[in-house]
Amino acid sequence: MSSGQVTKRVKYKTSVKDAGTPGRLSLVKERLVFRPNNPNSASKLDMQFKYITNHRYTKEGSNKAPMLNLTSNQGASYIFEFESYEDLHICRDFVGCANLMKFGHKGVAELLHRQQKLQILELIRKFIQNNPAEMICSSVQGCCKTIDYVLHSELQKLHQQFVGGGVLTEAEFWATRKKLLEKDANRKAKQRGGLKSSVLAESKPFIDGRTNRVTFNLTPEIVREIFSEKPAVHRAYLNFVPSKMADKDFWTKYCRAEYLQRSKNIAAAIAEAAEDEELAIFLKPDDILANETRRKIRRVDPTLDMETDQGDDYSHLPDHGIFRDGSKEVAESGNELYQRTLLQDLNRHAAVVLQGTPIDEEQLKDTQTVAEALERSKQERSTASKDDESSADQERLKGISQAMTIDDLRGSNDHHLAPLWIKDPRDYFDSRQASSVKTSIEATKGTMSSHESYGLLRESISQIKSMGLNHPVVASEVAQKVLSVLTHNISSTKYNLGKKPGESLLDSLPTSVRDELLHHHISIEELMKHFWSSYPITNKYLNTKVTKLKDEMSKMDSQLQKLKEAVQPDIRHQITLLIRPMQQALEAAMQHYDAEQQKRASKAREKPNGYS
Amino acid sequence: MKFQIEEVTVYFPYDNIYPEQYTYMVELKRALDAKGHCLLEMPTGTGKTIALLSLITSYALAKTESPIKLIYCTRTVHEMEKTLAELKFLHNYQVKHLGAAAKMLAIGLSSRKNLCVNPKVSSAENRDSVDAACRKLTASWVRSMAAENPNQPTCEFYENYDRAAGGAVLPAGVYTLEDLRAFGKEKGWCPYFLARHMVQFANVVVYSYQYLLDPKVAGIISKEMQKESVVVFDEAHNIDNVCIEALSVSVRRQTLEGAIRNISRIENEIDRFKDIDAGRLRAEYNRLVEGLALRGDLSASDAWLANPALPDDILRQAVPGNIRRAEHFLHVLRRLVQYLKVKLDTDKVEKESPVSFVASINSDAGIDQKALKFCYDRLHSLLMTLEITDTDEFLHIQTICDFATLVGTYARGFSIIIEPFDERMPLIPDPVLQLCCHDASLAIKPVFDRFQSVVITSGTLSPIDLYPRLLNFHPVVSRSFKMSLTRDCICPMVLTRGSDQLPVSTKFDMRSDPGVVRNYGKLLVEMVSIVPDGIVCFFVSYSYMDGIINSWNESGILKDIMQHKLVFIETQDVVETTLALDNYRRACDCGRGAVFFSVARGKVAEGIDFDRHYGRLVIMFGVPFQYTESKILRARLEYLRDTFQIKEGDFLTFDALIDVMNIELTDRNLNQRQAAQCVGRVIRSKADYGMMIFADKRYSRHDKRSKLPGWILSHLRDANLNLSTDMALHIAREFLRKMAQPYEKTGSTTGRKTLLSQEDVEKLGNNGAQEMLY
Repeated sequence: MSSGQVTKRVKYKTSVKDAGTPGRLSLVKERLVFRPNNPNSASKLDMQFKYITNHRYTKEGSNKAPMLNLTSNQGASYIFEFESYEDLHICRDFVGCANLMKFGHKGVAELLHRQQKLQILELIRKFIQNNPAEMICSSVQGCCKTIDYVLHSELQKLHQQFVGGGVLTEAEFWATRKKLLEKDANRKAKQRGGLKSSVLAESKPFIDGRTNRVTFNLTPEIVREIFSEKPAVHRAYLNFVPSKMADKDFWTKYCRAEYLQRSKNIAAAIAEAAEDEELAIFLKPDDILANETRRKIRRVDPTLDMETDQGDDYSHLPDHGIFRDGSKEVAESGNELYQRTLLQDLNRHAAVVLQGTPIDEEQLKDTQTVAEALERSKQERSTASKDDESSADQERLKGISQAMTIDDLRGSNDHHLAPLWIKDPRDYFDSRQASSVKTSIEATKGTMSSHESYGLLRESISQIKSMGLNHPVVASEVAQKVLSVLTHNISSTKYNLGKKPGESLLDSLPTSVRDELLHHHISIEELMKHFWSSYPITNKYLNTKVTKLKDEMSKMDSQLQKLKEAVQPDIRHQITLLIRPMQQALEAAMQHYDAEQQKRASKAREKPNGYS
Repeated sequence: MKFQIEEVTVYFPYDNIYPEQYTYMVELKRALDAKGHCLLEMPTGTGKTIALLSLITSYALAKTESPIKLIYCTRTVHEMEKTLAELKFLHNYQVKHLGAAAKMLAIGLSSRKNLCVNPKVSSAENRDSVDAACRKLTASWVRSMAAENPNQPTCEFYENYDRAAGGAVLPAGVYTLEDLRAFGKEKGWCPYFLARHMVQFANVVVYSYQYLLDPKVAGIISKEMQKESVVVFDEAHNIDNVCIEALSVSVRRQTLEGAIRNISRIENEIDRFKDIDAGRLRAEYNRLVEGLALRGDLSASDAWLANPALPDDILRQAVPGNIRRAEHFLHVLRRLVQYLKVKLDTDKVEKESPVSFVASINSDAGIDQKALKFCYDRLHSLLMTLEITDTDEFLHIQTICDFATLVGTYARGFSIIIEPFDERMPLIPDPVLQLCCHDASLAIKPVFDRFQSVVITSGTLSPIDLYPRLLNFHPVVSRSFKMSLTRDCICPMVLTRGSDQLPVSTKFDMRSDPGVVRNYGKLLVEMVSIVPDGIVCFFVSYSYMDGIINSWNESGILKDIMQHKLVFIETQDVVETTLALDNYRRACDCGRGAVFFSVARGKVAEGIDFDRHYGRLVIMFGVPFQYTESKILRARLEYLRDTFQIKEGDFLTFDALIDVMNIELTDRNLNQRQAAQCVGRVIRSKADYGMMIFADKRYSRHDKRSKLPGWILSHLRDANLNLSTDMALHIAREFLRKMAQPYEKTGSTTGRKTLLSQEDVEKLGNNGAQEMLY
C-alpha cells in the first residue's frame, strides 16, 4: 500500500480564525503527516489515524472555505484548509476509510452484522477512486487487495477457504467482486435524461388580474427547451448576451414577443417589431429552422414525401383544376411573417424530443451554461452527422424496401425464434390446479381404496371397544416429562422472541457460535453464487468447476450438521431454524447437480461421439 | 414462387400467395389476353400492387414475340416510390431465377422539381420556378447564344447529356427518382431529360395520372407511347375527379390582374424586338400564314405545357387572320381579360353553358369562337418567338388562354359557374369564374382508344358498375374480390358516448360543446396509454382540429397525451407535414410511440399508409361530410342526369334516378374519402392488425354507418355499435392481447385456406381456378 498515499496543499490551522500555515498534508496508510512549506515552522504534525476520533468538514456550496476538522482522542482539533473542495473530498474520504480501518476486523464485522455492506462498498469505491494508484489498478488483483484491506476478516477467510482450498481459482473468486465494484463505480455514467416530452415552454403566463402585468416563469430546463426548439433565439442569445444586453433584458424581450404572439394580436406584433429589431428576431420565422427543414426534406422517406407530389402536380397549376368544389378547405390568408401556430410549435417540440439532446443535470445551472452546452453538443452532432449521413441514407432505403414486403407471404426461413405462446394465465393456473387435484386423488387411491380404509377403521374401533382404553401405551408421568422437555425450548423461544424490536435471534447466541454461523452463511452464499452462475454448463471448464463446488458443498453440509450437533441443546432449536435455509439451498443445488449429471449421462449415451 | 396460369409462367417473389391475389391474376390475364380493358376491385392489405406487377411482367416475359410495355399510373409521387420499391423487389427475384433474360428497364418519371440535380436550378422554390430556371439554361436560343458568348450560363448536366446524344442511355434496372438523380450525378447527365428520353424504351414506366390524363402534360410526355401497352391506374377510385380537374380552369381576380401585367410585359418585349430584330416577328407571321402553329423542330428543352384541349379536338388549321399579328393578338387578349373582369364583378351566382358564354363574348368583346380556340397556340408561339424563358411569370396569361381554348373547343360537358363568394364564408368576397368539366369520360377517352389494355383497380370501386358509365368504356372483365381473413385482424368500434355517458358528436350544434371536446380528449388520453406504437387521429376539418388542439392544450389534456406519446400534426404546409410524418414514423420505429393528428380530407388522408405499427389505432373524430351544396357538384349531377337521357314526361323515374345518382355520388365520396382513405389504410397484409374507432353518435345510425366500406362493416360486431369510452378501452385491451397470440397463418384451421403455398397453387392450376374460390 505504498502507493495509497494522498498529498495535498493545505493550510494548517489550530482554530478557524487562525491565518494558517501553508504546507503539504500527506495521508498514508495509518498516519497523517503535515509538513509546512517553511521547514523552520513549528507547526509540524505527524499522528496516527487511530488517535482521531471524529472528523468534520465544510459542506460544498456554503460560503466557507473548504476545511477539514479532525478531532483527536485528547480533544485537540486540527483544521486544514484546502485549495478546493475536490481536494477536501479526497482527503475526507481517505480519513473516512482510515477511520473505518481503525475499527479493524471488529468494526467491519459490526457493520456487516448491521447489514451495512452498502456503506462499506461506498467507502471502498471512494477509496479506490481517490487513490490514484488504486484507480489504475482496476485489475482483479488490485481490487482484491483493496477490499482485502478493508473487509479484511471476512474476505480473507473466504479467500483462504476457497482459493486456498483449491475450490475456486483466484480469478473466479474476484470476478464476482469486481463486477460489484464496477457497477457501483459506474453509477454516475448511466443513462442521461433527454428532453421531457411535455411542452415546458408552453408554461402559461401568469396574469395578475388587477394590474396589467404578465409574469412568465423560466427555469433553466425551460430555457434549454426554448433554445433547442428555437435555434434563432439561441443564436440571438449567444450574440447579444452579455455584450449587447443583459440576460434579464433578453428574456424580458423574449417574453414580450411570446406574449404578443399568444395574444394573436398580429397588428400589434408587427407594429412593435417594426420599432424594435431585437424583438423582431423573436417574431420572425426562424431562418435556421427553415434551412434545416430544407436540408431535411431532401432526406425524407420518399414513400411519404408529399412535397414531391406538389412538385409533380401539373393539373394544379395555379388556377387550373376545380377551385371550389366543396371538398377543399378554405385557407385563411393572413400575415405569414408573424404567424406561428401552436400546431407548428408542437411539431417542432416533438421533433426535438425525438432527436434527443441529452444534457447533464449539472449544466442546468443558468442560461449561459445552458446556451453554451447546447452549442457544443450541436457542433459535435453536426460533425458526427456528416459522417453517418450517407450510411443513414442507406439504412433508410433498406428499411423502405423491407417495409414494402408482405411479411406473411414470405416463407418462414428463420427459425431462430420460437413463438412465445402466451395463453390466458387463468387457463394455465386452472389447468395446473386441476391436474394437481387429480394426482392427489390418484395418489390416495394408489395406496388404499376407500373400502379398505373403511374396513381398517371399523377394525380398530371394534378393537378399542373390546379392549377398552384402560391400558395406555406409556405411563402418564413419563409422557408428561418428555413433553415438557421437548416443548420447553420451543415455548421459551416463543415467549422470548419478538418481544423487543432491537433484539434478534442472532444476538442471543454465544459469540463463537454466531461468528461460525455467519461465516458459514457467507461461504455458502459465495458457493451458491459460483455454482448457479456456472449453469448452463457449456464447456469442460465449467464442468470441473461445478464438480469442485459440489464437493465443497457436501463438505459444508456435513460441517453444518456437526455444528448443529455440537451446540448446547437449549439453543439447538434456534440453530436449526437458522441452519435450515442454508441446508435447503445446498440441497437444492445438489439436486440440480444430480439431475443435470443424469441428463448429461443419458445424452452422452445417445450420442456416443458427441461432445459432453 | 413460380407457377403457371395457363401458358404464362408467373414469377411471384414470395413463397406463399393469397388466394385473392391468385384469382386477381387469373382475371387480369384474361383481360390481357382479350386485349381489353378491365376493372378490378380488391381491398387494401391483399398485395394488389405486387400481384399486378408480377403478372404483367411475367406476361411480358412469356410473350416475347409481341412485347408489351407497362405504364403504371399512381396518384402521387410517394405512391410511385412505393410501387418502384415493390418492382425492385420483384425484379431482383426474377433476375435471380431467370437470369439476364428477365432484365428490364423500369423508370419513374416526375417533374424537373423532383429530378433536377443542378443545384442552381433545384434550389428554386416551387415547381414552376424550377421549370423556368431550367428553361433559362437549356432553351435552344439560350444555348445558341451561349455558343457565341461564353459568359452565358448553361446547365452542364444538360450539355453533357446533349453531347452524349444517342450514347446517353440507362442500363437495365429499376430506377426510382433517387436512383435517377444518383445516376445523373454520377454520369453528369441531366436525369430529367434522360428519363424523358428513356420513357420510349423502358419496359415499365411509373408516373402520375396526369402524365396520361392531363392533355397539357400528356401532350409532351406521353405522345410516343406504343399501342401495345398495358396502362394501370392504381388506387383509381378518384380517377373521375382527376379527369374532370384536368379539363377545368378557374379564373380569379388575381389571375386577371396577373394577366394584365403579363400582357404589358409582352407588349414591351414586342416593342423591344421591333427595334432590334423585327425580322423575327415577321417570320413568325409568315409561318402562321402558312398554317404552322408551331415550328416543327422544337427541342425537348423548349417544350412547355401542351395544349389544354384533347389531341383529337385540336384543329389542324392555320391560326385565324385576326390574331396572327402579335399586336392584334394582344388586343384580343386585353379585350378578353376586360370582359372576364366585368363578368367576375357580379354579386350573384351565375351558371352558363359554354355555347352561350362564347356567344356573349362574341357580341360583347368581339372575339369569335375560332379565335378563342387558337388562343393557346398563338400565345405559345408568341412566347417562343419572344424567347421568353421565365415561364413561371406568365402563368396567369397562360391560364386565360387555356380557358379561352377550352371554352372555344367544347360545347358539351362543361359549364361556366361564377360565384361571388364561397358559400361557407359569405362575408368574404372572393369571386371566381370556373370552367368546369362534368364529363370524366372526355379526358380518359384518348387513353382507352390508344392503348390495348387499361386496368382500373383500387381497394374501393363500389358500386363497381358505376365506373364504366362514368368513364364511358366497356370493360372485358369487371370483378370485385373480397378479402379472406385468417383472423379478425381489424376491430372497428363505434363510440357514441364518453365515460360520463354524454353523447359525442361533431354535429354543428355540439362540436364546440366543452363536454364533447373533453370527452374526445379523454378518449385519446386513455387510448395512448394502452395502444402500442402509432395512433392516427382524423378530424373533420383543419379549423376544427386547430380549435380542439388549442382547447386540449389549455385544459392540460395534451400534456397527458404527451406523457405517453409524442404528438405530430398535419398542417397546411406540405413540407412541414412531410417532416412531421417522417418524424412520426421514426418515433414509431424506435419504440417511442406517437400520435398523428390529421384531417379527414387532407393530403395525408388521401395517400399515406398507416400500416403495421404506424397505425395500430385510427380514431375518426366525427363524420366528415362533403359539402354537398357545392354548385359544381350540383351541375355535375344534372349533367349526368342529362346524359342518361331520361324522357321528359317520366317524372317519377327521373326524380328517383337523380336521387339515386345523388346518393351514389355523395356516398361514393363518403366511402372513399372518409373510410377507405382514413381508416382503410391500416392493414398491410393479413398478418397486420389494427383498430378503428368512429367517435360520433351519428355512426350508430344505420344510414351513416352503411356508408362505410363492406369489409369494415363485416367486422363491426353489433356489440361494438354503441360504446362509451371505458367500454371501448376494455375492448381495445382484449383485442390487442388477442392479436399478440401466434396464429395459424395459412388459415387451415378455419376450413378455407387464406394463404397458398406452391403446392396449393399447382393443385389449383390443375383443377382450374374456378372451382375452389368464391
